Amino acid sequence: MSDCVDRMRRLLLGAALSGVAGRAFAQAAVPAPPLRRMEPLRHADAGVLNVAYYEEGPPDGPVAILLHGFPYDIHSYVDVTPQLATQGCRVIVPCLRGFGATRFRGSATLRSGEQAAIGADVIALMDALGIRSAVLAGHNWGGRAACVAAALWPERCRGMVTVNSYLIQDLSQAMVPASPRDEVALWYEYYFLLERGRAGLAANRREIARMLWEQWSPDWDFDEATFDRSAAAHDNPDYVDVVIHSYRHRFGHAAGDPRYADLQRRLASQPPIAVPSITLDGDRDGVLPASDGSASASKFTGRRIHRIVPGAGHNVPQEAPEAFSAAVMELIRG
Amino acid sequence: MTEKTAASAPHAASSKRLEPLRQVDAGVLNIAYYEAGPADGPAVMLMHGFPYDIHSYVDVAPQLAAQGCRVIVPYLRGYGPTRFRDSSTPRSGEQAAVGVDMMALMDALGIKRAVFAGYDWGGRAACIGAALWPERCIGLVCVNSYLIQDIANAMAPQRVEREVALWYQYYFQLERGRAGLAANRREITRILWTQWSPNWPFDDACLERTAAAHDNPDYVDVVIHSYRHRFGLADGDPQYADIQRRLATLPPITARTITLDGAGDGVAPATDGSASASKFTNRLAHRVVPRAGHNLPQEAPEAFAAAVMELVKA
Repeated sequence: MSDCVDRMRRLLLGAALSGVAGRAFAQAAVPAPPLRRMEPLRHADAGVLNVAYYEEGPPDGPVAILLHGFPYDIHSYVDVTPQLATQGCRVIVPCLRGFGATRFRGSATLRSGEQAAIGADVIALMDALGIRSAVLAGHNWGGRAACVAAALWPERCRGMVTVNSYLIQDLSQAMVPASPRDEVALWYEYYFLLERGRAGLAANRREIARMLWEQWSPDWDFDEATFDRSAAAHDNPDYVDVVIHSYRHRFGHAAGDPRYADLQRRLASQPPIAVPSITLDGDRDGVLPASDGSASASKFTGRRIHRIVPGAGHNVPQEAPEAFSAAVMELIRG
Repeated sequence: MTEKTAASAPHAASSKRLEPLRQVDAGVLNIAYYEAGPADGPAVMLMHGFPYDIHSYVDVAPQLAAQGCRVIVPYLRGYGPTRFRDSSTPRSGEQAAVGVDMMALMDALGIKRAVFAGYDWGGRAACIGAALWPERCIGLVCVNSYLIQDIANAMAPQRVEREVALWYQYYFQLERGRAGLAANRREITRILWTQWSPNWPFDDACLERTAAAHDNPDYVDVVIHSYRHRFGLADGDPQYADIQRRLATLPPITARTITLDGAGDGVAPATDGSASASKFTNRLAHRVVPRAGHNLPQEAPEAFAAAVMELVKA
């Protein structure tokens, strides 16, 4: 079944790329260089999922798990991955639930996008691959997954890199308004609370993703092929359900999957993160403005370094891969 | 069918105030309103929108009064000194209520017929008055054409740029949005004015003159209810159920009508009027006003007043 899906994805992608190449040729008379893809993918049954993931680097190297966000995919790490692999890391880059070639193993499993689920998915993948400990690194949903795993399973995490610092959601404060400027940027979160938003995401997932990429990374000059490479991952049959559930759950507008109720209770206490951490903010992040890290300082009880990455938006690993890789390597080396 | 009006610079902010206000019991409200012009002149109802107030008409009102009109500019429910007469009346912001309020005010003032003119919530009130009480309507001037809401289709998504512009409507569905409006009403107003009228150089005094009307004790309740009701996510006040049923059929407007769009409108982009053509059986003109944003009467008062006068004289 995964072969079949992969074949279909290649077909879809081929069509998308040929369209893009045609436009590029018409505009510039120079064919665009072929975009690198992270493939082949591997598959592993892990917890409730069959996880599709990309792996690179020596199997006996120290492990870095790179976790993407919404509305992105594993190609946020297209440059970070080889940089880490050539420095000796075993790099694992999974498609999150609802993205790319990852699938739920049971049709009856709730298509939850809650924070406890994506954190538990990381640990389940580590278990499936026999990885005892890793540096966990991520941004957006993936940064949250890293925070959840680092907070609840510190023995599995030798270090953590996140964009936007401490990302475990405090659902008890979800109804406290932010500044109006910040609320404007969260239009999609409020939109997704309505059935109109679900229908809109299903019908216009590419247009919504493109809008968010542009709003969140105003200085990132991504091209059509780069966008299409990631957007193809949003054709996953569970994408809309998982995304909508994620944004409803965080506002208390959707119940969680009962299997994660204990984890969610522990997350509700806003547990500190004790593992060595490096936090990065893009100073051009259009959705979560860069901070000096002080507001989240009490949440990091171990060694923690906070850095502002000049020129980077929200998708820091893809926009500033060297800065992201450097942070991972510092934690790998300890 | 689109006409272009003469280009003019965006109108600068004015420090003038529309006062003194008068008060009258009208239906469920005690309505505060500004009146100008000869008492026996043809009546014009000038209806403001959200998040604005009667000062959207600060320049239109004297222009019309000087040409012989009796001009009535009410504060909508939830705005300025307008108050609910009974503490138990639901603070509804549904479209039927704002339409009925306008008719109740005409009854209270003994006005049999008037030109209905408005934009945003006020344009919707004017459309409802014209659609359901055509015998009371000399003519209709409305910004953004046909504004009666099709609630049955409220869950149909629109293109993404449009959905982004409606961020506040989605925000107001949450209790977080209610709390945010209550705490930050001026900041939200400033953001919406800036987004909706990108060419309008309003200053702080201009904003504050209007924002004071949002300190009304019913403002938050009425606004939140308005934006929840239109998505079918809040029940209406039962006293308007019959009206709302009639509005659900999207009744046509038979009154003589002039519709205006601002070429710079940042929330309801200018159109050529064709999509709403079937809803107006007697539309005299659809005009795009250069540079004007969503607050068209305040940004382009001459164009707005001219449209009203054409209907008064016709």
